[in-house]
Amino acid sequence: MLLAQVLLNGLLLGGLYALMALGLALVWGVLNIVNLSHGAFIMLGAYATYFLFTQAHLDPFLALPFAALALFVLGYAVQRGILNLVIRGPMFNTLLITFGLEVVITFLAQLFFSADFRTINPVYAGTNFDLGGLTVPQVQLMAFAIAIGLTLGLWAFLLHSRPGRSIRAVSQNLLAAQLYGIEPRRIYAVTFGLGTALAGVAGGLYGTVSQINPYIGTALTAKSFVIAIIGGLDNPLGVIVGGLFLGVAESLTALYIGPTYTDVASFGILVLVLIVKPTGLLGRTA
Amino acid sequence: MNAPLLTVKNLRAGYGEMQVLYDLSLDVHPAEIVALVGSNGAGKTTLLRALSHLLPWQGDVRFDGHSLQSLSPNRLFALGMVQVPEGRQLFDRMSVEENLLLGTLAGTARDALRRNLERCYGLFPILAKRRKQLAGNMSGGEQQMCAVARALMSGPRLVMIDEMSLGLAPVAVDALLDTLRLVRTQGVTVLLVEQDVHSALHVADRAYVMESGRIVREGPASELADDPEVQRAYLGL
Repeated sequence: MLLAQVLLNGLLLGGLYALMALGLALVWGVLNIVNLSHGAFIMLGAYATYFLFTQAHLDPFLALPFAALALFVLGYAVQRGILNLVIRGPMFNTLLITFGLEVVITFLAQLFFSADFRTINPVYAGTNFDLGGLTVPQVQLMAFAIAIGLTLGLWAFLLHSRPGRSIRAVSQNLLAAQLYGIEPRRIYAVTFGLGTALAGVAGGLYGTVSQINPYIGTALTAKSFVIAIIGGLDNPLGVIVGGLFLGVAESLTALYIGPTYTDVASFGILVLVLIVKPTGLLGRTA
Repeated sequence: MNAPLLTVKNLRAGYGEMQVLYDLSLDVHPAEIVALVGSNGAGKTTLLRALSHLLPWQGDVRFDGHSLQSLSPNRLFALGMVQVPEGRQLFDRMSVEENLLLGTLAGTARDALRRNLERCYGLFPILAKRRKQLAGNMSGGEQQMCAVARALMSGPRLVMIDEMSLGLAPVAVDALLDTLRLVRTQGVTVLLVEQDVHSALHVADRAYVMESGRIVREGPASELADDPEVQRAYLGL
């Protein structure tokens, strides 16, 4: 029973991980930028949700669309104004500039939000229900459902809508996309905005299940990176599998080895995947 | 003869310091098939890249009266000037049908999309059979058909095709040339850029011969095919 409960907790956590990694994988796959500031955008999404909850008294789950919209606009502007300068540049330049962004955003967050730990605690925060002897925390379940729903939604968007197809076109063949009426600069900005919007929602959900402070970004970028490597960049479903896998692996590690070793497990898995199957468990990586 | 659909006057272009095209001029009239032939390195692909704004250039180029200098690639595509680039450049990890759909203008109505798809499948029945297959997994000939069909999806007025026959079996080249003849009767103008001088001159109405970034000969395709110098230089006769 304990094992089943731990597995359930791992899966619920994993859904959230998948959503965190989704934006990173999308941007990586289309813009060929490993966005080291991805976690900082997750952090901003968490604070946006926090302030909408505490100041505007909006239910945190209803605040998510606003957090997503704000982060989309921010991401679009950051891509247009800053990242466009290094697009198709050497990998080192993109790493350097996104690392710099991460530092600046974190510092500004510390300046404006202070370094205090905060939590988003709606009245139903402690509500659980029982499922055949297993305890299912309501907030975690809602976060999980939203995360999986958004990931599937993005998948459908990329596969079946015209803008989604244009995004894939730019990532697969830039020259042909340009010749057939697609403006790569616009696609890049929209894609980066989508990536940060997804980060924003992931951050809001993270804030409902965990404490937030300005420094949570770095570790979340690293975890997102691990998931993107495991799941590959081609397919949002790979990111779901990678996220669930990582969530379960961390939960099992916490149970059998100790909660301080969860990062050893996640990055150990990264190293193993890179050695054994560098193309990712499902399909292609960059 | 009608006013030309495409006029190129004194076009100069190159890569950085290296000039490739020198005061190049040519015309393409509506519903013509015009061949631009020349050996490797003559600057044929550079010309197409310049016309699609993938390279900076100077000169006076007009498409249907609009000066190209002020038109974005996007706008050119919307006006009906499309290119089938060298090496086909399909979206390899998408299905044939998705490749074709990406050849249409944004905002095309659903039933118009359907009609265009059916028209392209009519021109290339093999693509209808392969519609769900990934474009990158098809044979070279099928991929080239897919690339030409993608270019025709938007109902263009001018299709510029770069090295269509490169690496293809003769039977595939013949099938493609037949299709070009057919779409020409439907009002589509074709600029065929080819190293395969023999088949290009066979299908074209008029032709230009290019050497070292300049037009060195022009005239009706049949005359050029009989020109002893062209025969010696390009046809191996």
